[in-house]
Amino acid sequence: MPAVELRGVSKRFYFYEHRTSSLREWFIRRVLRRPIHVRRAAFTLHDVDLTVGRGDAVALLGRNGSGKSTVLRLIAGIYHPSSGTVRTEGRITAVIELGAGFHPELTGAENIALYAAVLGLRRKELAERYDDIVEFAAIPDLPDTPLKYYSSGMEARLAFSVAVCLQPDILLLDEVLAVGDQAFRERCLERLRQYHARGGTLILVSHELEQLRELCTRGVWLDQGRVVMDGPIDAVLERYRA
Amino acid sequence: MTAALRPLGRVWRYRELLHSLVVRNLKVKYQRSLLGFVWTLVNPLFTVAVLGVVFSHVVRIPLAQYWAFLLSGYFVWNFTLQTLNTGTYIFAEHSRLTRSVAFPSEILVFGAAGSRLIEFAVEIGLVLAVLAIFHHHAVPDSYLVLPVLLAIQLLLVIGLALPIATLSVFYYDVYHALPIALTTLFYLSPVFYPAEMVPAAARGLYFLNPIAGLLTLYHDVLYWGRMPSPHLLAGMLLAAVLIYLAGYALFRRYAAIFPEIV
Repeated sequence: MPAVELRGVSKRFYFYEHRTSSLREWFIRRVLRRPIHVRRAAFTLHDVDLTVGRGDAVALLGRNGSGKSTVLRLIAGIYHPSSGTVRTEGRITAVIELGAGFHPELTGAENIALYAAVLGLRRKELAERYDDIVEFAAIPDLPDTPLKYYSSGMEARLAFSVAVCLQPDILLLDEVLAVGDQAFRERCLERLRQYHARGGTLILVSHELEQLRELCTRGVWLDQGRVVMDGPIDAVLERYRA
Repeated sequence: MTAALRPLGRVWRYRELLHSLVVRNLKVKYQRSLLGFVWTLVNPLFTVAVLGVVFSHVVRIPLAQYWAFLLSGYFVWNFTLQTLNTGTYIFAEHSRLTRSVAFPSEILVFGAAGSRLIEFAVEIGLVLAVLAIFHHHAVPDSYLVLPVLLAIQLLLVIGLALPIATLSVFYYDVYHALPIALTTLFYLSPVFYPAEMVPAAARGLYFLNPIAGLLTLYHDVLYWGRMPSPHLLAGMLLAAVLIYLAGYALFRRYAAIFPEIV
């Protein structure tokens, strides 16, 4: 059983006016039976097949809006496919938005605990990794300072430190590698390389192509919700750049 | 039966996140305030004082020790009001979280109710003590029924908060409409008058409002110090369970698409 298997997966989003709008419009539409808009279906993904073996490191490439984040959200179980099946095996950590769940009034230590709980870590597991996280983030006075006094770079570093110290079976990262200064980024890449070397499955979305080449062995190129190319990272990057 | 128990299993699996959310809610609320929990008490006590003066000196409600009557129900009303209100913005407040992490999103509603419950536990503890000392001059046996009342209250309020939260994701109108509904409900529930004052002919209709039953139970137990009628107790327990199950079913039906909308 591979780590991730998407079979014939399509994801359709409906843009109903009333989803973001009001009862007044519902009334006009349903009671007065006057259509004030058309239900618009937009495909983000079309019949995507993707199998990721255990221990693979896969890069998802494509322009904005090509469906990369949607693929990650489907794998993570945040979205459900409109058709097709998504199967995964093992514990998944998805970092789609860095520090979602952080609260500015809480201290660094409290935020670490909260974010770890959000990402599904047990308290006992967190206790084992806490020192590692703090050390990796390397932020002075981290545990006792409320998050709102952090610079945005420091906040991102803290979030990223929690994420990379989790050691899940499958790690999904959505354009979150561009955080911190050069030195911190180097350490992040090093940590991800270690994770991969130990057999962790990695799926990355990034626009920093050199990073992808360094970390991944395979590239999957998405365009308008379809897989247009799937192969060794160098070959895919070469075509993608052309 | 297993379908009804499944939600409990989900919550159990995410108990640590629930715990973290409850702790966070309380920490964020109190940590930068000097008087902290005192504020949580001052607000309802102030209302109780105003109601007490108005309804014992201006519009006279014929009840001995009217303040004790107010205390026995007002905090329950306050818990209901605040928890239902939270439902209207909880998903807007946590939209980033909902969009980027897969977790059962009812945990957010449970977390909000949980932190309110802890505050309520402290409040009701104080009320119990005050009523025992100054009103009953003893600890009435009826206090023993309180755990059942608490269970009814939780099931009922969460069962109502879940559909409110669901609707709020789709229609922002709920955010504006709910305060109006709650103000109406305040007058249509026995908060500052006993349900016995409602004309007998209208009482059947009156008790369609489940909050009216809940408050009447609290009045029996805390103010009158008597065991509530088994009819009312059993009926309310059943109603609370049904409302909870219905509310939860509605929530689950739409929760899968919340991340696409919030």
